[in-house]
Amino acid sequence: MRRNLAYGIRIGMGILVAGGSLALATAHAEQAAEAHASHVVRLADSVTRSTANYVLPAVTLTRADGQQVSLIDEIGDGRPVVLNFVYTTCTTICSLGSQTFAEVQRKLGAGRDLVHLVSVSIDPEEDTPQRLRAYARRYDAGPQWHFYTGTVEASLDVQRAFRVYRGDKGDHSPVTLVRPASGSGWVRLDGFATAPEILAELKGAKSRN
Amino acid sequence: MSLRGKGARVGRALVRIVSAVLFAAVWPAWAMAAAMGPMPAAPDTAAIKAGEGIYLRGELPSGAALQGRRDDAVPSARGAEAACVNCHRRSGLGSTHQSNGLNAKANGNQIPPIAGRYLFESNAGHDEANLPYVDGMRSGRSPYTPATLGRALREGIDADGHTLGKLMPRFALSDSDLSALIAYLNTLYPAHVPGVTPTVLHFATIITPEIEPERRKAMVEVMEKFFAERNSRQMVPSAPMRVSGKTQYGRSMFMVHRQWQLHVWDLTGSPETWGSQLDEHLAREPVLAVISGLGHNWVPVHEFCERKQLACLFPNAEVPADAPGDFFELYLSRGVLLEAGLIANGLLAPGATAPVKSVRQIYRSGDSGEAAAGLLARVLRDKGITVHESVLAPGGGSPASALRSAAGDDALVLWLRPADIVALGDPKEVAPRIFMSGLMGGLEKSPLPAEWRARTIMAYPFDLPQKRVVRVDYPLGWFRIRHIAVVDEQMQVDTYLACGLVSEALNEMVDTFYGPYLIEEIQSMVEHRIVTGYYPHLSLAENQHFASKGGYLVQFAKPSGNGLVAAREWTVP
Repeated sequence: MRRNLAYGIRIGMGILVAGGSLALATAHAEQAAEAHASHVVRLADSVTRSTANYVLPAVTLTRADGQQVSLIDEIGDGRPVVLNFVYTTCTTICSLGSQTFAEVQRKLGAGRDLVHLVSVSIDPEEDTPQRLRAYARRYDAGPQWHFYTGTVEASLDVQRAFRVYRGDKGDHSPVTLVRPASGSGWVRLDGFATAPEILAELKGAKSRN
Repeated sequence: MSLRGKGARVGRALVRIVSAVLFAAVWPAWAMAAAMGPMPAAPDTAAIKAGEGIYLRGELPSGAALQGRRDDAVPSARGAEAACVNCHRRSGLGSTHQSNGLNAKANGNQIPPIAGRYLFESNAGHDEANLPYVDGMRSGRSPYTPATLGRALREGIDADGHTLGKLMPRFALSDSDLSALIAYLNTLYPAHVPGVTPTVLHFATIITPEIEPERRKAMVEVMEKFFAERNSRQMVPSAPMRVSGKTQYGRSMFMVHRQWQLHVWDLTGSPETWGSQLDEHLAREPVLAVISGLGHNWVPVHEFCERKQLACLFPNAEVPADAPGDFFELYLSRGVLLEAGLIANGLLAPGATAPVKSVRQIYRSGDSGEAAAGLLARVLRDKGITVHESVLAPGGGSPASALRSAAGDDALVLWLRPADIVALGDPKEVAPRIFMSGLMGGLEKSPLPAEWRARTIMAYPFDLPQKRVVRVDYPLGWFRIRHIAVVDEQMQVDTYLACGLVSEALNEMVDTFYGPYLIEEIQSMVEHRIVTGYYPHLSLAENQHFASKGGYLVQFAKPSGNGLVAAREWTVP
């Protein structure tokens, strides 16, 4: 209950700053916040929020466009980051997570380019850059939503760094990681985080600054 | 039987009759029959087909996309994303352990079986011999009727009035959509599965006619000894214990330990006739699954298995079918098609040498190299590279003479077997860069002439010899103890691995012997495997068919001997 109240306050503040850099229309944000308020009640049991400072490994990943990139550089490009783990042949939770990311992207509207959505494959040998590009098209991923693959070891390093490795891909659980501002700590949402919850985390940082 | 149990059963029967009467006005006659008994009277082929479209692809019989609404908090789904198969699986048996990505029990998201018998028959105090236990079955829930199933699918209320989980969509289905879906659900995990008898599980292995007798013998011997050992460890049904009337190990234990029986299906003649030969073999000897086999062009075997919905695990197929939409065929690797990708990577990689502009491939028509060369040519031509081919007739022509007329290309790719490789002749005249298929050419034992060894890069879709030595040691020891002659180490080790994978998967399945479930089980468990034969690691998932996905490019380390060095690290094309 206390947590719900905290959410409510943060959402309220989120609305106040909605005209800021995320460039959300106020009406849009109000709608999202209203919808969000009702979700929190229903999902309170299943989404667990925590904060953490993860040490990112110095690994090279392959972005879906084929470029070899450093994870640290990609995440540290100055934008707020929303990160999850997927594999393209997953038919259950990955598609829910990707649908949620697509919804986040839609709800951000014109402000979406100011946020970096990051999806890292936990099945990197199957998920070639080509397959990741096809997967991105399925969810209308915009230019601010990047997909990454790489060697098995690199993917495992990233999973371990974010404490999401569960022994094999089939056993992974839904986790969304949000870094609301460059250099801040991470917010970890375990469970099926909704788009309004993710947006609230992004906006929450603005209101605290 | 206790009075209480009897009462509950009578009560449930009453509920069933009452609900049948209540819904009689809206339900067709067969649905009434279904409501009164566990199964509809006669399968309706058109309805089953329509239901299959809903279940597998999220396509309604009208052609419209299936719509699945979820709680606003969870994204809704439509079309293929809403299809039942995504969560309940091809088998209809729901989640196997860890296979659904929902961390099943821990998250309370375990996906129940929805094969007709698990919905419409009582799961309570069920008879394990007829309705085997599977993870996620709702043992306390009353049996569904078509009417209550309709309510569950549309409104998310189960047979007892409980609300279904929030991840289960609420579907927009008409009455005829629902009848079609039920007709399909009733085809899943039938009471009688071919190849499964109360005491024996039947398996086949398939050998195509071009395979040398000694390699055939080497593979069959591994399988026969594996089967014999598995059978020797089995417990026989013990005498009923005096008091309980149960067997010592319980019925389900006895059933797990059914004897395995191997049927070797040898094919003859041309590939076009293999399909009908296999149909005849299967009619004579119904089997639960196909394990292993030996052959070059595996496409006709693959097509037979898909047509007959026969679960297969193939360790030794050189040319697998590349049919991503198919379900029933699992391979350890993509064979020569993977090699084509590895060689393409090698040719296209930016390196010290000038970019390749023209490539010549040499293969024998009708052999595995033909398909691999075709794939590589497509990839290279897409990149603007000219591809020439020197095709040798089956059994005729020498590679040396074919190569003499083929100077002037930047690179040469050899899709040849050892008998042709020894006769390659002088490499002075040929292209500056040379690649070869390791799988066809004999891997590190390839009889590549000395003057070719220093210049040739070999596709090697396995782990390097020095890295796999521990993983391969166990099967080799197993062969030694059983006096199995090692004729083709890679093939025999991977055949042994395939037998082991099926054996472990079946142990996990307990009594639920069903081909699609076997495929799902292997897809979910193979990643845990530590002894992975010739491969550095194996991994599968739903909609994946090739367990090892990458390979090396290697060169011989020295002018003689079997030592290899990696020319390019493990990559996935």
